Amino acid sequence: MMGFIRLIVAGFLVLTLIFVCVSLYSRSVRRERLEKEWDANRPEGADDARRSAYVESGMAEYFSGFRRRLVLLVYVVPAVAVAIIIYITN
Amino acid sequence: MRKLKWTIRIILLAIFGLFFHYVLPQHDIVRFVSTSEKYTDFSVWNRIFYASADSGNADSPSRDVTLFHGFYPNGNTIIYRNEDTGWIWPPYFKFDSADLHAEVRNLVSTEEAPKWASITHYGWRIPFLGVYPNAVAIRPVASPDEFIIPYFNIVFFVLLAAFLLFLRAMWRQFRERSVDPVLESASDKWDEVEADVSEQRGRLGRWMGSWRRKPRQ
Repeated sequence: MMGFIRLIVAGFLVLTLIFVCVSLYSRSVRRERLEKEWDANRPEGADDARRSAYVESGMAEYFSGFRRRLVLLVYVVPAVAVAIIIYITN
Repeated sequence: MRKLKWTIRIILLAIFGLFFHYVLPQHDIVRFVSTSEKYTDFSVWNRIFYASADSGNADSPSRDVTLFHGFYPNGNTIIYRNEDTGWIWPPYFKFDSADLHAEVRNLVSTEEAPKWASITHYGWRIPFLGVYPNAVAIRPVASPDEFIIPYFNIVFFVLLAAFLLFLRAMWRQFRERSVDPVLESASDKWDEVEADVSEQRGRLGRWMGSWRRKPRQ
């Protein structure tokens, strides 16, 4: 039983570390894409304020969207993998 | 320097290779002749190669370990241990060592009427440390020449490669977006500081110069 608790605690800590890294990465990639989109076809006479407004609105869309939830798979996939391994081995 | 780099690379590769060779599942085709229980006092040398007591039991420094005695098709002997890995390392989550024992007993056969079986195991046989590979699963096979495709290992290495590539992409993104801009602004700052210092030095030099004796006219 102690082994099980240890697995849960250690697994949770490691997965949280991965979760934080992946969500930061995903956010960064999204922001970069938005910036590049803007730079590729920037409207006439647009200034930096409008650029950052465009990027921020895109980021807000990302935060409320479904894709952000996909990062939660970081927790789900290993748990499912462990369940499958347990089923196959035993 | 180049030699040192390569030495380190080869050592790292060997360490990872040995690690995966120990931990990942392998399949042997074996004929079993008997099983036994051996009272084992673990030492500091071989404790690391053993897993844990049957799940649900307390772990003690010595206990019975079940062994399976078998023969390869070429006539060499091989001995496996049968231990639960439980919730700990390596993550096979094996709790059914008693059931595996029954399956192996069922496949015990003689040389005249052999029953061949494919046994999945991990670990090494190290005779001088009293170390045995741990059997994980068993399945009867028709002939000793049957070829077993290591599906799990294929999937594992593909996923490992994907994970490493993802890690690399993450690192690059981090450098491009977070480290490089900071470094750039830092080097700009540094240039400013340097310019400032040389300016100051110029002023100091001029001041020192004002103390110097002026050339007589």
